[in-house]
Amino acid sequence: MARDACGTLGELKLIFEHEGTNTNYVPMDMALNDRLPSPFNRKNLPLPDVSEVDVVRHFTLLSQRNYSVDTVFYPLGSCTMKYNPKINESASRLEGFAAIHPLQPAETCQGALQLMYELERDLCEITGMDAVTLQPAAGAHGELTALMIARAHFHGKRKKIILPDSAHGTNPASAAICGFEVVNIPSNEKGCVDLPALEKAMDETVAVFMLTNPNTVGIMEENMPEIVRIVHGKGGLIYCDGANMNAMLGITRPGDQGFDLMHLNLHKTFSTPHGGGGPGSGPVCVKAHLEKYLPLPRVVKKGDEYSLDYSKPDSIGRVRSFHANFGVLVKAYAYIKALGPGLKKVAEAAVLNANYMLASLRGSYPVPHDRLCAHEFVLSGDARASEGVHTTDIAKRLLDYGYHAPTIYFPLIVHEALMIEPTETEGKETLDGFIAVMRKIAGEPAELVKGAPYTTPVGRLDGVAAARKPNLRWNREA
Amino acid sequence: MDGLFAAFSPRLARELNVETAGTGSELEVSTHMKQLAGKNKVLKYFLGAGAYDHYIPAAVDSIISRSEFYTAYTPYQAEVSQGTLQAIYEFQTYICLLTGMDAANASMYDGASALAESAFLAASHTERKEILIANEFNPDYLGTLKTYCDAHELKIVNGIDNIGANTACVILQNPDFFGEVETLRQFVEKAHASGALFIVCIGDPTSLAILGSPGEQGADVVVGDGQAFGCPMSFGGPHFGFMAVKNEFVKKIPGRLAGITVDSKGRRGFVLTLQAREQHIRRERASSNICSNMALCALAATAYLSLLGKTGLRNVALSSYRMAHLLQTKLAENGFSLANKKPFYNEFLVECPAGKNQTEINKKLLEKGIAGGYAVGGNKLLLCCTEKITEKDIDEFVKIVVG
Repeated sequence: MARDACGTLGELKLIFEHEGTNTNYVPMDMALNDRLPSPFNRKNLPLPDVSEVDVVRHFTLLSQRNYSVDTVFYPLGSCTMKYNPKINESASRLEGFAAIHPLQPAETCQGALQLMYELERDLCEITGMDAVTLQPAAGAHGELTALMIARAHFHGKRKKIILPDSAHGTNPASAAICGFEVVNIPSNEKGCVDLPALEKAMDETVAVFMLTNPNTVGIMEENMPEIVRIVHGKGGLIYCDGANMNAMLGITRPGDQGFDLMHLNLHKTFSTPHGGGGPGSGPVCVKAHLEKYLPLPRVVKKGDEYSLDYSKPDSIGRVRSFHANFGVLVKAYAYIKALGPGLKKVAEAAVLNANYMLASLRGSYPVPHDRLCAHEFVLSGDARASEGVHTTDIAKRLLDYGYHAPTIYFPLIVHEALMIEPTETEGKETLDGFIAVMRKIAGEPAELVKGAPYTTPVGRLDGVAAARKPNLRWNREA
Repeated sequence: MDGLFAAFSPRLARELNVETAGTGSELEVSTHMKQLAGKNKVLKYFLGAGAYDHYIPAAVDSIISRSEFYTAYTPYQAEVSQGTLQAIYEFQTYICLLTGMDAANASMYDGASALAESAFLAASHTERKEILIANEFNPDYLGTLKTYCDAHELKIVNGIDNIGANTACVILQNPDFFGEVETLRQFVEKAHASGALFIVCIGDPTSLAILGSPGEQGADVVVGDGQAFGCPMSFGGPHFGFMAVKNEFVKKIPGRLAGITVDSKGRRGFVLTLQAREQHIRRERASSNICSNMALCALAATAYLSLLGKTGLRNVALSSYRMAHLLQTKLAENGFSLANKKPFYNEFLVECPAGKNQTEINKKLLEKGIAGGYAVGGNKLLLCCTEKITEKDIDEFVKIVVG
């Protein structure tokens, strides 16, 4: 099939299908070729040479095949796809941040260390925790780090982790990497922790109870004091998956709710963009009794001087190279410096927007856990199952109307889940537009919905074929 | 408003004690950020040790600044994420072409965590518990590996002579932390004779432009850090890691994979595939917990490699090689003896002459705006050159350290 170089319809060439001339980005020194010793004898370097204009067009055309927060409403539940203020981007690109080496002497990077120190302090205040590590590179990395801390706290003696069946998939995966056995407990009919089930599962072999709050059906856990009593009663730790921190900013704090440790997703709550799947940043916040286990190095302040401290004997060690995804920290820090105590308004608007949307869609889609929601809510797409219309179809149809789809088929405890998180940065006009389209889709002919999308660069893609015969890279001969 | 928050308990009864920059206006935030950035000093870097000051073509930032890329989420809705997905597919291809491997994933957090995940892959594949480190490793990588192995109850063993029936993998950093390049064959043979996997870890992948590809020399897994490919050093992150494997390990590879498929009209399209390996499907039985990775950094690398092409990348490698060797020669003429025993790429270890202390030397360099070497025991310095270093820079460096 012919490739369509302009890329608006159909296929776009791969970069490897281009040929061209090379641009001199660095001084040429080919004369050295003949004098290299034997390990430096690479004969075959099969990369294409493509001119700069063709490379730039290639990637610009690729970018136009994406939906993004800057182009469409992106109500992807659990992912907090809020608008990312541009000042944060330009701040992270300042030469004094972007061009410095992580190992240069502390006296030449005081600004960077100060930023990290102050960000840690702000995150403590926001979460109600006592100490923070900024080292983890993403939320799941933060979970893993937190569980390593828990493992160190119990000297590896407690081997179990309890999870509600509504948990993010990363929770059990992180637990397994840490060598923990995962015990799943059911949620109750309200979507909250089933207290008798927790009480039964909790004993002195359990290290951690991991809980997302507000939980993944979008409601605040009721009975937190009871949960804390049960877990602490057996000497366990309670972990907060902070993916949904956006709902709680300035209103309530995990540290005050009784959690011992948690992670944050700076790329969700603190407005650093997701980059098509990263980089993120997953700081771990702990209560004082767990501080000694935090990864090294720690940022410390003595007088007016900031430095890195590598000398904490009880630390779990490092979980990555260098200090953190610093460029992401710069963006989160700038965001916090713009809002300060006004972060509370973020949570208020996020919760208000979600409840407005829930109230507006209640009549058109089933709401399995129907009550006031936090920053997101979960609908079911199963009302038209008898006509063969599933959640996937509704999601794909939304793309035709210029909206990104909600998170689908998660949480697992809701049949045909559609998880919607509007975020605080969207205005009423956008919310009403989306509500109108959701209602419209609910009444569209089944065949129309099942064939969607129609207006995207490619039609519905065959995931089964991709997995059956994986083609994961280009080959010249192919 | 209060009614909406009835279930939020306990309520914070006061304002958050978080300072804004001035009143929080964009002007004041901007000024504050510039002030902080201004407290950091951008130096001339003869310092590598895991972060490399290579030149980044202007077009790289222009490409990754397209907000259709950087404000998108993970490409779960493939039909409206073809840009990201095709770019990931191209990234995977570039990593395969450079490493000589069959398949690569969409990226890892960094080189150190990619190394740790490769050890898990080997342990799971061989059902063995010992991870053998064959040569001189970056201490951050080793530290990370140790933290992960502690949690996973794997044992780290040092030295190829300690290979045995419990060895899950032999891991070689190449070039090693001190810049030395190894011949892989002897390690491959020993690893495979013991039923262990052979893993190569790469700190500065520009070296691959002139080094023989690890895949052709028998590596089962290649991991590394990709920062050198178009990502600013940015005080240590975000960088990205990569992992490439031979075909038989594809179903054990952690993280995301983009693959080709067709749409409803038979047109080529891209999707995330083989997701049954991943945490959102397999949960506690997933091959890894990784979810968010370093997509935008991997995109920067894809743009970087596309812009430079084979000619440009080779030149980056040759220039870096040439400058490092020029510096080493001039230092040797002035009493700084080479401590490496094997060929090196763009980093090398020198022993400072008697009477010249490594700390004092770095201090003198810093006074002139130069980041000197990474200090190693025995009064040695690990030095690095990229193509950004000129002959004039080298002359100045030598003059300062000799003077």
